[in-house]
Order: sequence, then structure tokens, then C-alpha cells
Amino acid sequence: MLYRKSFLFALLVLAVITLAQRCKEPSGTCGMGCDLTDIPYNPTAYTIPKPAHFPQIPVPANNPMTLEGVQLGRRLFYDPILSADSTMSCSSCHLPQGSFTDNKAVSTGIDGIQGRRSSMSLLNIAYATNGLFWDGRSASLEEQALLPVEDPVEMHHTWPNVVEQLKSHPVYPELFRKAFGIDNCCGITKELAARALAQFERILISSGTSRYDQYILGDPDALDDKELDGKLMFFDEGQVVNLPDAQCFHCHGSITLTGNNYFNNGLDSVASLDDFTDKGRGGISGNRTDNGKFRTPTLRNIALTAPYMHDGRFPTLEAVLEHYNGNGKGVSNEDPFVQQIGFPLGGNVLQYSGLTAYQRQAVIKFLHTLTDTTFINNPDIQKPD
Amino acid sequence: MKFLPTILFALLFVFISSCDKDEPQTEKNFTLTFKSTYGGLALEKYKNYPYDDRDIQVNKFNTFLSDLILVRQDGSEQRLSDIEWVDFTPDLAPDNKAVDVKFQYTVPAGNYTALKIGYGVRPDLNAKKPADFAPEHPLYRENEYWSGWQSYIFTKVQGLYDLDGAGDPESTLTYHCGSDAVYRTSTMNATIPVTDKSGALTVEFDVKKLFYYNGGLLDLDDPLNRNTSHNASNIDLGIKVMDNFANATTVK
Ligand code: HEC
Ligand code: HEC
Repeated sequence: MLYRKSFLFALLVLAVITLAQRCKEPSGTCGMGCDLTDIPYNPTAYTIPKPAHFPQIPVPANNPMTLEGVQLGRRLFYDPILSADSTMSCSSCHLPQGSFTDNKAVSTGIDGIQGRRSSMSLLNIAYATNGLFWDGRSASLEEQALLPVEDPVEMHHTWPNVVEQLKSHPVYPELFRKAFGIDNCCGITKELAARALAQFERILISSGTSRYDQYILGDPDALDDKELDGKLMFFDEGQVVNLPDAQCFHCHGSITLTGNNYFNNGLDSVASLDDFTDKGRGGISGNRTDNGKFRTPTLRNIALTAPYMHDGRFPTLEAVLEHYNGNGKGVSNEDPFVQQIGFPLGGNVLQYSGLTAYQRQAVIKFLHTLTDTTFINNPDIQKPD
Repeated sequence: MKFLPTILFALLFVFISSCDKDEPQTEKNFTLTFKSTYGGLALEKYKNYPYDDRDIQVNKFNTFLSDLILVRQDGSEQRLSDIEWVDFTPDLAPDNKAVDVKFQYTVPAGNYTALKIGYGVRPDLNAKKPADFAPEHPLYRENEYWSGWQSYIFTKVQGLYDLDGAGDPESTLTYHCGSDAVYRTSTMNATIPVTDKSGALTVEFDVKKLFYYNGGLLDLDDPLNRNTSHNASNIDLGIKVMDNFANATTVK
């Protein structure tokens, strides 16, 4: 009798363990009631809309874009389910109205702890293929999307818990099925969630309708004279009208105005390269001469993303231009262009003149022409109903 | 048991198709390696090198190369590539040592006697812009394009020069050279045996030799020789640098 009872008990334990075990598996039969095979899996290939004059958008082969993937990612992006106390979503620090920043000097996580860095605009993030974050510590959007959830100064949750919540959620299992063809809710993984988030982030592309875009697409009246002066200085094209080089385009280059390269742009006056409060790229690479270098962010929608720099130290674009006009701090790993801002006539560096108040204002006025309200108001990227 | 043959067949299929995928890679039998030096020494960012009686640093060095072509004894040509971008000092490198940049090509076996190189972006390609290319293409790079002058930046050399003579380089050097007017070509003779399995050539650029002019080093005390960063500014300096590229090249 005793023997039979313990046998039955052992069997029961075994059954429970097997079930639990199976539930961890990415596919196969698992957990009664969470079969999803009745829901059709017909993902629709998705071409990211982009302005014709923008470069092609890199999409990794292992995460092809689908409408269903983008929709799932969008929902996850705006869903506080990703944070430990369900108060914070990605969008808490990346708001559409701030061009996907939070307009704070540094971001604050769910526990009220301030991080050390400023939230970054996600506009045109699909083009960022030279590392992510201010210091380049993440290689891809898929990899990056895993990090905020478990970051103690951000969402401070754990992925196993998030995945459990997603599995038992009334809607998510179906959305994961439609996006990734999982057979049952136990197929939901953090990797799939990250892939969906990355797909949504890749559609955050400029509308191409800013006044600057109108100008480069051939409307000479899209910029007024002062804005045009600013544009000429920004792109070092001012010689014809005797304007100095502001050198900005060397780092914030070309169409997306995202350099993606890492520079010391002359923010800090330090006694030695070891003395930066935030070592930036050097904190990741361990290379001393990378200390104080940060990834160049996009200047599109820059008028919407104050305050500025990795630590939000400058409240206004006026302060930013004031900084650049100081021609760096002479720290040994500063980029040469930082020390050439406001030089007359391109490379013919004979005498530093600096940018006059009018010239600084003109550059700022030009930066305002990069504002793309069509993008921030695009219904496809807002919080879903 | 009935399924066993099917499973075995399926496994075999998987095996074969995975072999297929590897094939094109192992087929590539020719490796072209680019190295950079300064005065014969391995190049390293933020390191002081002698320049006449002063010191110099080279902290960035990259270049486009067009029409890489192997030449046979009889003068016939084997094209390796229309265009490549060679970045010796990538941002994400683990340390300051300039990296060696390797490309692999599939080439018929034979004895080749020369390598042709175009320094910069050849004119028909330079007429295009980054948005014309797929993300994998060397010319997709927006940071290497001058929208203001509709040209790729053929080569970038940046560094510091000890202008004040105090011992540490402090004065900026920026050589961003581009435009059809500065595109240059050369033919480098070498003995280049290539078999079905392997063949290799190393091309070395000595940055110091980019600064030679009229039998001596460019006078960096002259501000006109220190900076050119767009093709409308100091094109003479851009021409000098691009003229020197062939002399700065050795093949092994
Ligand atoms: C508490 C605020 C906060 C939350 C929540 C948050 N982020 Fe961020 N995000 C930041 C900050 C701050 C940075 C810059 C951090 C750094 O560089 O160290 C950043 C950087 C990024 C970047 C890099 C952008 C670039 O240009 O390199 C991406 C992508 C990103 N976040 C996506 C997300 C996603 C997806 C989520 C949700 C899963 C999320 N973030 C949640 C604050 C936040
Ligand atoms: C040498 C490269 C370089 C040059 C030249 C340069 N920048 Fe920057 N810029 C950067 C880098 C790197 C950052 C980020 C630095 C940080 O936060 O530590 C940055 C940040 C900025 C920011 C803040 C962005 C944000 O999202 O917070 C603005 C605005 C800006 N630059 C405008 C300009 C303007 C205008 C010019 C020309 C006057 C210019 N830059 C010239 C490299 C450069």
C-alpha cells in the first residue's frame, strides 16, 4: 500500500516536472490550453517606408521585417509589462513627442534612481550600425532591447518573469504566434520579444518632409537667408559668401546627420585622459585614448530633444554652439575638427576667427529646419490602442 | 523503424546543404592584405613618430581603393574588385594598433606579375552617392561622402604635429582628400603565384611617405600644409597627398 502510494506520488512528481520542463522548451507540445496552432501563421513581409533620398535601410538577415513583428514590437515598446512594477515602458524614456527621448538631462528608472546618461533619440536608429548607446556597448538593436528590462536604473525586472507574464497574457501569445509562428505560448522567449522590439524601432525613420529636406529636394525657398547661411557653415560650404566653417558635418554627416562615429568633441577639460567622470567609449574598450569619446548622435529633430550631450549638460542649442565655439579644451584625443570650428576658408587655417553671434544663431536656425513633426505625429509609431 | 530511412535521408540532405553554404567561402583562393606603417614602423594611433626634428601622431587613416586588378605576364587582367574601403583605424578596434585589412577573392590559378591600384573612387563611381548603394557596399558609407561637393572623401589622414616644439604633438593635421581631380592609379610589380588553393599579396602604405614632396618632407610649420578638409579649400595639398600614394605603396 505504502509502496503503491509513493509510486503514484513519484509518478505525479515526474509528470509535473516533465510538464514544467516542456514548458521551457521553445516549441512542441506544452502546457494545456496554450496551443496556438489554430491561429494562422502568415507573416506579411514589411518594407520600411523611407524618403526616396534616404539611404537603404540595413535589416539583418536573421530578423526579417514583417507587419506582424512590427505590430508586436510596437505593443511591447509601449507596454509597462516590461518593468518590475508595471509602471514603466520603453516609451517612458523614449517618447514620440521628444523624438523618442525623455527630454531629461539623465533618465530615472522605476526605483527613482537616476541613471548617469541622457536618453537617446531613436529617430533613424536603423542606420546605427557602428554600435549602440553613447559608448557603443551594444552591437545590435536585437541585443540592445534585452538590456533595459533588467537594468536596475531602468525597468529593474527579470526576463524570466516578463516571459511568464507574456505567456499567460490574454493577447501576447497570439501576437507572438502571428509574428514568429510559435506553436504554443511556451514558445515565447526574450529573444523573440527583442526581435519584435527591434523591428518596431527600425521603422522609426524620418518622414523626409522637414524644411531642410524640402530644400535639398529642390525647393530653394524652403530655407530663408539666415537658415541658408547656417546650412552653408554647417556643411563648410560658406566660402562663396565668405562664411567660416562650422565643421559640424564632418561628424554629423550626410543625409541622416548621424555620424555613428566616436569622438571626443571637446566637452571636458581634464588634467589627463584618466580623469573623465564618464569615460564613454573608453569605459567599454578599456583603451585609455578612447576615454571621453562618445557616439555622435543624429541632429535630425535636435530642436525637440533638449537637453543635450550624453549627460544632458546643455539646456539649449545656444549653449551647445557656445561650447563648440570654444574650440575644445586641447585634450590630446580631441578630434582635430573640434579645434577648427569657426576657422575661415576651410583648411586654410591662418587665423581663428570663431563664429560670431549672428553666425551661431544662423547655425541654430538651420538646426531648427531639421524638425520633422510629420515623423513624431505619424500614427503608425504612436502607442497602439 | 519505417521512418529510419527517411530520417537518414533528411539528415543527409541537411548535411549536404550545409556543405553547400560553406563552399563559396573555401573557394576563395586569393587573399589581399593591406597594412599601414609610419616610416617602416607598425602604425599605432596616439603614438609619437619622428617627423624631421619634431614628433607627429597619426590617429586616423582610411582610404578607398578602386580597380584592384591582377596582371598576368602577357598583360591580360584579372579583376579583383571595383572598389574597397580600407579602414586601418576603426572606432571599435580593441586597441590603438592599426588593423590589417584583408579581402578574399576567387582567382584562376597562375603566375601574376603585377597589381593595379586606383587610389580613391574612380570617376564613374564617384558620380554616385551613398543612397545609390546597398548597405553592404563599400560606397554606402555616408561618413565618407561630401554632400557639398558631390564627391567621396577618397582618403582621410588625421593626426597631430608638435608645432610649438614643446615635445608633444598638439597642432591638428587633417587631410581629407577627394574629387575626380585627385584620383590616381598605379601598377605595382610583384611575383604573385596563385594556385587553386591559395595565393596572397600584402600591400603596405607608409603614411610618412604621403608627406614627401619635392625630395623632402612637407613643411608642417606652414599652416597651408597642415589641413585640408574639403575639396574647395586647399586642393593643392589634397593633390600632393594623393600624388604621393603610389610612392607610399609597397607590395610583398
Ligand atoms: C529609464 C529610462 C529608459 C528606459 C525605460 C528605456 N531606455 Fe532606452 N535608453 C535610455 C538611456 C539613458 C539611453 C542611453 C544609455 C547609455 O548610453 O548608456 C538609452 C539608449 C537606448 C538605445 C540606444 C540608442 C542609440 O542611439 O544608440 C536604444 C535602441 C534604446 N535605448 C531602446 C530602448 C528600448 C527598446 C527600451 C525598452 C525595452 C528602452 N530603451 C527603455 C533610457 C531608457
Ligand atoms: C569632432 C566631431 C564633432 C563635430 C565637429 C561636431 N560634433 Fe556635435 N557631437 C559630436 C559628438 C561625439 C557628440 C556627443 C558628445 C557627448 O554627448 O559626449 C555631439 C553632440 C552634439 C549635440 C547634442 C546631441 C544630443 O542628442 O544631445 C549637438 C546639438 C551637436 N553635437 C551639434 C553640433 C554642431 C551644431 C556642430 C558644428 C558647430 C557640431 N556638433 C560639431 C561630435 C561632433
